Amino acid sequence: MGKLTDFITQDAPGKRVLLMGNQAIARGAIEAGVQVAASYPGTPASEILETLADAAQKLGFHAEWSTNEKVAFEVAAGAAITGVRAITSMKNAGLNWVMDMFMTLVYGGVRGGFVIAVADDPDAHYSSNEQDTRFAAFYGEIPCLEPSNAQEAKDMCKYAFELSEQLELPVFLRSVTRISHASGDVELGPIKAPERRPVFDKHWRMAWRWNVYGPPGPVEKHRWLHSKQAEIEQAVEKLPWNELKLVEGAELGIIASGIAASFAKDALRLLGVEDKVAFLKLAAPVPVAKQLTSKLLKSVKRVLVVEEGEPVIELQVKALAKDVAPGVELLGRFTGHVPRVGELNPDIAKQSIAKALGMELEKDEEREKIKEEIQKLVAPRSSTLCAGCPHLGTYWALKQALKRVGGKVPIVNGDIGCYEQGGYGIAGKRYEPSDSSESKAYPIQAPYETLDTNYIMGGGIGLMQGQHHAGYKDGALVAVAGDSTYFHACLPAIVNAVYNKAKGVFVVMDNHWTAMTGHQPDPCTGVTATGEEAAKLSIEGIAQAIGVEFVEVTDPYDLKATQQTIERAIQSGKFAIVVSRRVCTLQALRLKQYKPRAKQTRVNEEKCTGCMLCVSFGCPATTFDTERKKAGIDPILCVNCGMCKQVCPFGAIEEVKE
Amino acid sequence: MSELNLIIAGVGGQGSILASHIVAIAAIKAGLRARVGETFGAAMRGGAVASHVRIGKTVEGPLVPCDGADVIVAVEPLEGLRNAVKFLKPGGLVITNIHPWYPMDVNIGRARYPSMEEIEQAISKLKGKLIKLDATKLAQEAGNVRTANTVMLGALAATGKLPFPAEVLKEAIKENVPPKTIDANARAFELGMKALSK
Ligand SMILES: Cc1ncc(C[n+]2csc(CCOP(=O)(O)OP(=O)(O)O)c2C)c(N)n1
Repeated sequence: MGKLTDFITQDAPGKRVLLMGNQAIARGAIEAGVQVAASYPGTPASEILETLADAAQKLGFHAEWSTNEKVAFEVAAGAAITGVRAITSMKNAGLNWVMDMFMTLVYGGVRGGFVIAVADDPDAHYSSNEQDTRFAAFYGEIPCLEPSNAQEAKDMCKYAFELSEQLELPVFLRSVTRISHASGDVELGPIKAPERRPVFDKHWRMAWRWNVYGPPGPVEKHRWLHSKQAEIEQAVEKLPWNELKLVEGAELGIIASGIAASFAKDALRLLGVEDKVAFLKLAAPVPVAKQLTSKLLKSVKRVLVVEEGEPVIELQVKALAKDVAPGVELLGRFTGHVPRVGELNPDIAKQSIAKALGMELEKDEEREKIKEEIQKLVAPRSSTLCAGCPHLGTYWALKQALKRVGGKVPIVNGDIGCYEQGGYGIAGKRYEPSDSSESKAYPIQAPYETLDTNYIMGGGIGLMQGQHHAGYKDGALVAVAGDSTYFHACLPAIVNAVYNKAKGVFVVMDNHWTAMTGHQPDPCTGVTATGEEAAKLSIEGIAQAIGVEFVEVTDPYDLKATQQTIERAIQSGKFAIVVSRRVCTLQALRLKQYKPRAKQTRVNEEKCTGCMLCVSFGCPATTFDTERKKAGIDPILCVNCGMCKQVCPFGAIEEVKE
Repeated sequence: MSELNLIIAGVGGQGSILASHIVAIAAIKAGLRARVGETFGAAMRGGAVASHVRIGKTVEGPLVPCDGADVIVAVEPLEGLRNAVKFLKPGGLVITNIHPWYPMDVNIGRARYPSMEEIEQAISKLKGKLIKLDATKLAQEAGNVRTANTVMLGALAATGKLPFPAEVLKEAIKENVPPKTIDANARAFELGMKALSK
């Protein structure tokens, strides 16, 4: 389409366009004249850098996919130290990787505006947890801005650069899925050219500004950070997106921020009580604007805090109320008016506000019953790997290898990527909790039941080493990870395995792309974020250089060879790395590196015995007629990869020329 | 109507998110306020996708409340039903493609796909109106199977529920689909409109 690049770089102040929250954040950075943007992909934040990367060459600034969030943060921080404007963006989990630098950079701050844009994911749509990263702003003692729609996402991002320069500190911009992945009308502002010249002054306005150990040292620099707090408190009182509406005679006041403020406004209207409730929208959840909040607290009897995530504002309001309005009743997450987990929406906001008002919501029992009945008709649509996905081949080969040489109870440590679906279970099947005192084997019926452990990026290979050093003997130890994850988080763990003599098999499921988050390039892809040709780092070469003794490469489309490679790796008794390599099918199709329509894969029903082995391979193109007990192949989904043909022991899957 | 709440539902790869963005872009062209909230899985194909579109002066958040959708456009029938149960406003309208995309759960016999009659009955029990069309077939007629989403937009325009003229939507389609598919999409839109006026 290319349209986005056109208008995202267009200097057309006043023009109204539809922007996704993440695009709006990117546009805000462009309007601020950003010069360095660095990120690592992660849903729901990826489109911030994708948009910036699209614009970078045209406008003349640097944008990169870094190896991981920590590196991205440092790249952007390094630029800001030289006085240019820089942004780093990441998903919630990414921030955990940067905390060391984050907590220390704030002791000296920055010279050029530095924005840390983080997209949280309440409801864990795309994440391993629901963490609320606004606590990090609290922890690091820097202000956090939180937009409530796409327009604010753009405007606040732009302003965050100015505020950052005014304070000489990084500014935190917190988004959530329903901002980042929602779209709205945005009026564009003028673009500022990225033309500041970077400069370096070692003792800029503070001795040893950029060296935390330089005298007077960390404690004095911490004191400096504290001296900034009054200025921050003043700044948040004056943010143009704050809204205070006092209502005479109102007993209830609402304090809301970010997307929760939008949901609360929708809910007030649904309830028809807009004019009966006082309302305060805080543009900055950290720190809470004390004067504005006091005004609201003093005007009502009860206050309901509606915010997305943990009670970050609520805790601050509690502390403030103790001093300024001790009689006010505070409602929110601590009182059960707002749920403790999951994300908000207009219906939850409506229920919370109704409860705070003591309003009884009408319930249509009959309709609820009808809905329950209809719900039974709604078949699930389980998430699966794509038809022809190379990970399907790797998982099949791994399953066969473990059956033959994996011992009684092998442990497969998972990781994060498309292949994490190897632990999603199948068709909503639920297991009863077990409490076995011995290692217990569970059958793997589909690739979706392969992964025994899974937490975070790079976690699996470390867990495997612990299992080895604990002396686990009941089965083979395996870890898997994708290529992007390999570079992001696995290298120190590989060094550790070699150095500390761990044993186990590490399978790198290399599809050349960061597929799960939308196919961003990584260090083995051969291109950069802006589409320039780049070095292709060798996964096996790095492993060999570190000193891994068993390193083999295999093609997952060749099921037998891949199985045998994994078997050899297990039987080697060493720390072994198997690189299972084939380009992501979806991406190969898009880039026309793979042409699937030369032949047709079909089931010969005469030979099909109905054994369902092909079904257990887990490809979404495989179908099964339960009445006739015959397998089939969906011709629209099938990409003729030939893997299921290798799975069928009866030769019932055939390839025919079109 | 001061506010239109619309949901476009389908399966990843059918273009329902693009369709929802096109409706919102048209609304903005017409000088209205628009919000789109989307739910989708990872970059994979075949997952359930639903996009909420809210148009009007008073809309704030990007999500349609329960029982609040004036119109549900289903590029895939099961996904239409999935969203109707939760979001269809009593008296609201469901426009559905009749061509199913079976989930793996159904393909391997672990779940059952509801029949069109069952879907019809369900919508009527929810006090909704249902309009059916074979958008997949019409998209093929238009010269590109992947324009089923645009066929559905044509049908949507023909219902008269949109608070702006069909011409604006047509223009938004032209400006936002891949250039090579502009003609097929234009034909798809017309076929969708015609299917409804019959
Ligand atoms: C710390 C952190 N950063 C980013 C993400 C988002 N994320 C999920 S999977 C993934 C990597 C997927 O790439 P790869 O390992 O190559 O596997 P593929 O999806 O290509 O199979 C990323 C970056 C995350 N979960 N955690």
